[in-house]
Amino acid sequence: MFVPNYEVKKQIIDLHMGEKVHYCYQCGRCTDICPVSELEPERYDPRTLVMQGLLGLSHMILQPDKQFNLWGCQTCDLCDEICPNDIVLTDIFTILKNQSMRMGLAPEAYISQAKMVMETGQAIPLQDAIARRRDKMGLPLIPKPNVKEIQKILKATGFDKKIGYEEPKEEKK
Amino acid sequence: MTDAEEFLLYEGCMIGQRLPYLEKSARLVFEKLELKPKDAAFGCCPDPIGIQCSDYTSWLSLGARNLTLAEAEGKDIVSLCNGCTQTLTVVNHELKHSESKRNKINRILKEVGREFKGSINVSHFLTYLLEEVGVEAIKAKITKPLTGLKVACHTGCHYMRPVEIMQSEEDHENPQNLRKVVAATGATIIDYEEEHLCCGYAIMNAEEDVSLRRLQKKLDSAINAGAEIFCVICPSCFSQMDFNQRSLKKKFEKDYDIPIFYLTELLALAMGYTYDEIELKMHSQKPKLIKERFEGGAA
Ligand code: SF4
Ligand code: SF4
Repeated sequence: MFVPNYEVKKQIIDLHMGEKVHYCYQCGRCTDICPVSELEPERYDPRTLVMQGLLGLSHMILQPDKQFNLWGCQTCDLCDEICPNDIVLTDIFTILKNQSMRMGLAPEAYISQAKMVMETGQAIPLQDAIARRRDKMGLPLIPKPNVKEIQKILKATGFDKKIGYEEPKEEKK
Repeated sequence: MTDAEEFLLYEGCMIGQRLPYLEKSARLVFEKLELKPKDAAFGCCPDPIGIQCSDYTSWLSLGARNLTLAEAEGKDIVSLCNGCTQTLTVVNHELKHSESKRNKINRILKEVGREFKGSINVSHFLTYLLEEVGVEAIKAKITKPLTGLKVACHTGCHYMRPVEIMQSEEDHENPQNLRKVVAATGATIIDYEEEHLCCGYAIMNAEEDVSLRRLQKKLDSAINAGAEIFCVICPSCFSQMDFNQRSLKKKFEKDYDIPIFYLTELLALAMGYTYDEIELKMHSQKPKLIKERFEGGAA
């Protein structure tokens, strides 16, 4: 017997507890409009994800060999706009993806981008070659972000642990 | 309102640190329009997909940190990137409207001596052009109209959705903002069915194959409708649509060679700059037709 994940269930229902409770009635309009489902109907289906999420059946979603069933969502927000019941699907998927990340089940490219931000404060750090090209083009120097401060914030949120980041060992000078 | 033209430029790491030639064209356009942007030491926006999906609280916190940099200067942010615009706009909105989120994030920011106040606004440069500069003022600077050039506009998901928060006065199923500015260059805008749909960039990190099939649908839809070039307003859309035509060739054994332009590149051309001055040779799909048709020579 599977036990629902009540914590995930609570987080998702909490998202839709405004003046009135919104509950998905499985009309399927989200899946109809989804450009990813259109290409991969067997592997990606937002309607099913919402149902499983709302019931707390996160074990059905968070499976190591089935990353695409969740991460196939490209957050284009089309479904959010069309849902007749004001379900914000992408917010539900954010909760589930965050959970997936903590379990180490996210696609490799997401994990490496997160580690890059942890390490350099940016998703795409400035390479020397680009710095030279900018200079040649007459573009101004890019002000350097305060990486230490960014890292301090990310430690306060526990980002390093959530993405499985290990600090590089101090190199001997 | 002497200060009205000063905003903080958020070019984003993709443009600044990977596609600097797009920034070059943007800065030339700023000059022509007498806009005076200021740079700031922003960090990662961070990515509305990658980092929000990794950890929502960290995403809010880093976004809020960037907003506090602008708040300290008392200046609004104008971004050249859909992703940065969406992150900063949504974080600003969430923290302004939810006391519990604001308190939670401010407890985190306190560790680095910052506090989110919610005192500035964020917009994409396209919105800024329409709302602060105006189409007439743009037209007044056009010296080399792109007459006859058939353009497919691709606005991109993260400029217009979620509609309620992005407030771009845009019809997300029938986007008009980009069309209005492109029309000012004298180019002809074509209609195509997939205009409001995604370029596929955002699925790349999950699976390349699906991402390329999405891209192919987008390109085919516009090419079949007679487009000669695309105009985009996001560096992520730009790189997906420009660089990955090569991958499409390999994958589907079908040739693709439609040039992709970032909006300020088209504007710079129409304002008198040349192919060489804005380094269009840096594109993967070389827009030779510009030289041939508007500069009287072969590329
Ligand atoms: S469109 Fe809304 S109500 Fe309909 S199935 Fe999708 S989430 Fe549920
Ligand atoms: S946000 Fe995700 S689920 Fe919704 S339409 Fe876009 S890709 Fe599909």
